[in-house]
Amino acid sequence: MKHLQAINNKAQLLSKAAAEDKIEEVSAMNSVAGCTATFDPGWEVDAFGGVASLCQPMEADLYGCSDPCWWPAQVPDMMNTYPDWDEKAASTKDDWRNLGTVFPDDKE
Amino acid sequence: MNNFMLKPLGLSLLAASLGSMASVASAASVAEQAEGILNKQCVACHTREGDNQWSRISYQRKTPEGWLMTIARMQVMHGLEISDADRRVLVKHLSDTQGLAPEETDGYRYVLERRLNAQESLEPALLAEGCARCHSGARFKLQRRDEAEWEHLAHFHLGQYPSAEYQMLSRDRDWFPIMMEKLVPMLGEQQPLQSSEWSSWQQATKTDMKGRWSVAGHMPGKGDLTATMVVTPLAGEDQFSVSMSGQYADGTPLQGSGKATLYTGYEWRANLTIDGVRMRQVFAVRDGQLTGRMFNRNDESMGADISAAHMDGKSTLLAVQPGYIKAGTQSELMLVGTGLSGMPTFGKGVEVVSIRKDSDRRMHVTVRASRNHEGVNAVSIGKAKGVELAVYKDIDQVNVVPAYAVARVGGNGGSTNKLFARFEAEAWSAGKDGQTGTADDFRIGMVPATWEARPFDDIAAADNDLGFAGRLDPRTGVFSTADAGPNPQRRMMTNNAGHLTVTAQVQDGNQTHSADAELIVTVQRWNNPPIP
Repeated sequence: MKHLQAINNKAQLLSKAAAEDKIEEVSAMNSVAGCTATFDPGWEVDAFGGVASLCQPMEADLYGCSDPCWWPAQVPDMMNTYPDWDEKAASTKDDWRNLGTVFPDDKE
Repeated sequence: MNNFMLKPLGLSLLAASLGSMASVASAASVAEQAEGILNKQCVACHTREGDNQWSRISYQRKTPEGWLMTIARMQVMHGLEISDADRRVLVKHLSDTQGLAPEETDGYRYVLERRLNAQESLEPALLAEGCARCHSGARFKLQRRDEAEWEHLAHFHLGQYPSAEYQMLSRDRDWFPIMMEKLVPMLGEQQPLQSSEWSSWQQATKTDMKGRWSVAGHMPGKGDLTATMVVTPLAGEDQFSVSMSGQYADGTPLQGSGKATLYTGYEWRANLTIDGVRMRQVFAVRDGQLTGRMFNRNDESMGADISAAHMDGKSTLLAVQPGYIKAGTQSELMLVGTGLSGMPTFGKGVEVVSIRKDSDRRMHVTVRASRNHEGVNAVSIGKAKGVELAVYKDIDQVNVVPAYAVARVGGNGGSTNKLFARFEAEAWSAGKDGQTGTADDFRIGMVPATWEARPFDDIAAADNDLGFAGRLDPRTGVFSTADAGPNPQRRMMTNNAGHLTVTAQVQDGNQTHSADAELIVTVQRWNNPPIP
């Protein structure tokens, strides 16, 4: 690592977290029931335990998550399971309200 | 009704699992209907294997929510078309005949009760790495399968969700043999299909739900509650109408009714409308008592911890409200239970001044606590015990519960509801040694506090998370989350996410105690099965 230098803000944050030995603190948050424990990037929480380094607004790159089945427990995966999830939302920025929840609930 | 394939084994299994709570005649109807659905619809993919056995289906046991998710998955992934009514029959039948014993759900009920801030810690780490990086650990902890079935499940994940490979840390290790040769056998051994707990439970006598129940509870942001719950059998096996009538400690009435189903002889699930709010009860019934949570179906952060006892003549203590008294003071406490009669005792240093009984389930007792005693006292009345009163001299420490909470944006015309966060201040005494953090510390209880939020760090301050993410009620500790969607007023149109510190201030005489919690306000999830 000594030949690699952080040149942007995110990389600097990452170096800082590693230098301050914050890795353990972050892993303590891995375990909130139902939140993803994948932080590259995270869905609920970023790699630093906050929300500022998430891909947000998440609508900006939402299909970048759903197309390749990233976080399938939170975001419907369009690769195999919900291929038509986006059919009423060509633009996530404008049409995000048309994206439905996917669990087939009891209608009665 | 299609009953031509009905097998005697199915009947006897179901009758055994239902025990005394239903007649064999009514037990037959769910089994008959389920057999009909299995033979008509499930048979399209599943192979019938001998007597009442089906490929895949017969090698698993799980909770009602688990079976519901399995059938929902068949609808979503395999084009199963099934009516809501038929799906309810299958969930009921499979939960009754291939459910979990009460003991097998111990330690993981938080997920059924939708306590979404529960922190999970899975040992060994392989379980977390292999299964809980995407979904809760409780989702698989509440299942039992034989080893071949666990292996099918692993292969299913790899086929259906190709990103599972990355989630299993494939970039850093030879993951596939680890999963197949270590994780799958571990699951087969730790969570096998057959268990002595399940065998015993199928033979056990089940609680008759019919009748009146005395209810005690506590709702964060609102306070203690008491109620009566009346359960009346409806036509259909283990179906009930349920009504509740009671009040909160601040005098607000609590009123509502709905319908319930009892699964597996102890898993009580009810949908009610309480004071205009759609609530769900997820209770476990054991030895004539109910415990669990009743929560708002549109905002699951709002819910009450509930315990209840059947008003069948027995004497039971459920709660003393409030559960604490300051040494050297006099106050009115309420005992909640069933069959309450006689003189209650509140332990060392606490004397009864007067008693006012409004029913045999509620007794108001004015007590005086001596200046010289502190500790956790056992409360009893007649033969009823099991409730404690904390007698404290001073509040020495306050914790915020939960210490770490996740709220989610929602609403604003989208399909997902807002998930709020609700905080409470939990007071502790340092005990006799006056030092906090030692073995003689004792919990006093949830006490009134004033609440304030601030940015968690410099980044949160720079992004004005406090101004955008929602609003904390300074009196109740309830955080109301902001709207979903990109916010043009924020930098880069970002969402109303935020990272906040929530502080409680508790006044005890001249002393002010404060404590912090961490609040993450984050984005919604669209995949919302009953077990996250």
